[in-house]
Amino acid sequence: MSEALLSIRGLSAGVDDKQILDTVNLEVPAGEVHVLMGPNGAGKSTLGHVVMGEPTYEMTSGTIEFDGQDITELSPDKRSRAGLFLSFQAPVEIPGVPLTSFLRAIISGREGIDMKRKEFRKRVRALADELEMDRVYLDRELGVGFSGGEKKKVEMLQLLLLQPKLAILDETDSGLDVDALSVVSHGMEAYQRQCNGTLLVITHNTRILEHLDVDRVHVMVKGRVVAEGDASMIADIDANGFEQFEQAASAE
Amino acid sequence: MGTKTLERVSAMPAPTWHSLKMNDATVEIDEALAPARDIAIETDAELGGADAFDAALDAAQADWDAEFGDAPVLANYEDEQANRLGGLALSEYQKGVDAAEASKSLRAMYEQGMGEEAARWLAEMAGERTSLNVAASKACSASVLVRGIDASVNTAALDVIVDDGATLELAITVDSPVPGYGITGTTLRIFAGKNAHVTVRRVQTLDDSWTDLDDMGLFLSNGATIEIFQTVLGAGHTYTGLAGDLRGKGSTANVTTHYLGHGEQELDFNYVLRHHGRKTTCNLYANGVLAGESSKVLRGTIDLIRGCKGAQGQETDNVLLVDEAVKNKTVPTILCNEDDVAGNHGATIGHIREEQLFYLASRGLSREDAEGMFVSATLEDAWLNAANEDAKQAIVRLGNTIVEDFEEAYL
Repeated sequence: MSEALLSIRGLSAGVDDKQILDTVNLEVPAGEVHVLMGPNGAGKSTLGHVVMGEPTYEMTSGTIEFDGQDITELSPDKRSRAGLFLSFQAPVEIPGVPLTSFLRAIISGREGIDMKRKEFRKRVRALADELEMDRVYLDRELGVGFSGGEKKKVEMLQLLLLQPKLAILDETDSGLDVDALSVVSHGMEAYQRQCNGTLLVITHNTRILEHLDVDRVHVMVKGRVVAEGDASMIADIDANGFEQFEQAASAE
Repeated sequence: MGTKTLERVSAMPAPTWHSLKMNDATVEIDEALAPARDIAIETDAELGGADAFDAALDAAQADWDAEFGDAPVLANYEDEQANRLGGLALSEYQKGVDAAEASKSLRAMYEQGMGEEAARWLAEMAGERTSLNVAASKACSASVLVRGIDASVNTAALDVIVDDGATLELAITVDSPVPGYGITGTTLRIFAGKNAHVTVRRVQTLDDSWTDLDDMGLFLSNGATIEIFQTVLGAGHTYTGLAGDLRGKGSTANVTTHYLGHGEQELDFNYVLRHHGRKTTCNLYANGVLAGESSKVLRGTIDLIRGCKGAQGQETDNVLLVDEAVKNKTVPTILCNEDDVAGNHGATIGHIREEQLFYLASRGLSREDAEGMFVSATLEDAWLNAANEDAKQAIVRLGNTIVEDFEEAYL
């Protein structure tokens, strides 16, 4: 039994007959910050979605253990309730559902997080303020008419509200301007600080990592984890890109 | 005691395919139900009888005659070019419209959304008509409470006459605070004078053992605006019919409907807005959620009548189907007999998409949880936008019967 909070072993997955992930092994111990990097199309986002249990993808081999439990066969809602969180690169819109109603629904029945309505409203307003998010968005339909930056703030708000054991942040920095990036970085720091959170940050951009104390870096190329190392890899990738890893993968 | 049947209720002016079974509705009425006539009205407007509406319409007729009485009728059969070629092949609908236009009678053209028979029955059950009269340039408000009364028909027949430049805010709450079985309803005739502004907010929160009939007819003078907000959250059977004559130049009718269907509820909506005046505007906007095994029919007709130059009509129905067993039929219709107009219609009908379901699941919501959230959100939105305390209490009462701990959890 690994001490890792998240343990992915021999995971292969794809969609229809196309394989995207090939025998992926990856471990994230509790309390650490891991980064999954790689060129576009490497399969990073797919890994995040497969770990969360998206039914679009078919797992053809391997296991996923989370917090000492084999979650390979669990539905996404049960994985969430077990303490797993995925921040979406492109959060969906849900017309007809005010953001507050949605937030109320997602904490409902969660031990230690569910709260009375007054406490809930106070908490949500405080989080909106912390994330520099206009409170008027709380009564608007989820995601409808939100800018890209506002959508990412809503993802961070959910992260801080749900306080998951592990958060996978899928390209949370994509499409953000400097100000929004700063708010999102603040959200990630707050999650770590307030919840002793564990992070798996998926990105191909090193900028968002500047404010994080990274423990380990994993590099994915063509659906395989081809290199791992400490935080010093980030500076190397920043300077030299992913070409060295792509060439090594091709040589194999 | 038997059953009385109201036929051809809320009929579409121009029918569609008969096989779709949506051209009109049939209302079955248990004849054992007795009239209750228990309506609570609070208002600072002047209360009157049935004559006020007729008098207002007669005055509007006199104004109209003075301006258009000698003008030729712009009807289909007046097309000279077509007549030389043997005449136009007119539909029954077109013949009917031509006959009405030829009469030059505002009273003949005035109509109720549920049709003559249903409006008459509702008025008979109500006993006497009550009118809310707002004098020129005054601003008034009114609230009407219609409660379901066991083994009864409880209906209100209201006339609303808002004189030139005046304003009225009318809130109608239809609720069933005690268990029972029966029918509730309202039949409204609304007259908006020149530049008058009328707002009606009707909220219906009946339990499933009740049937509700919501019938309205609108008349708009020059520059008048009528805004209708209908919130339909309950009742086993709901029939809503609204017809409007945008007679006055530059008049506007905005109709916004929010609905929630759940259980085995059946909802029927019919809207007919006829543009007679130049530069008239109407907006029909419906938005709702259908859950469980509920079903809904919506007929929306915008009639751009010859001569209404510069008129604009827009109608939209957005419905979210959260269960596989629900049924929805929407017919947005634009009838157009005038060149210089704009008419737009659209309908968005869809289930929750897979990517939406996955997003919700990734936040811990099962499919069942997600469906419940859509129902709760509709109730919460209705509560947030309720016009008065009667409506808020009614929504909370119904919400607590549908959603566990609704008041505690969501409000």
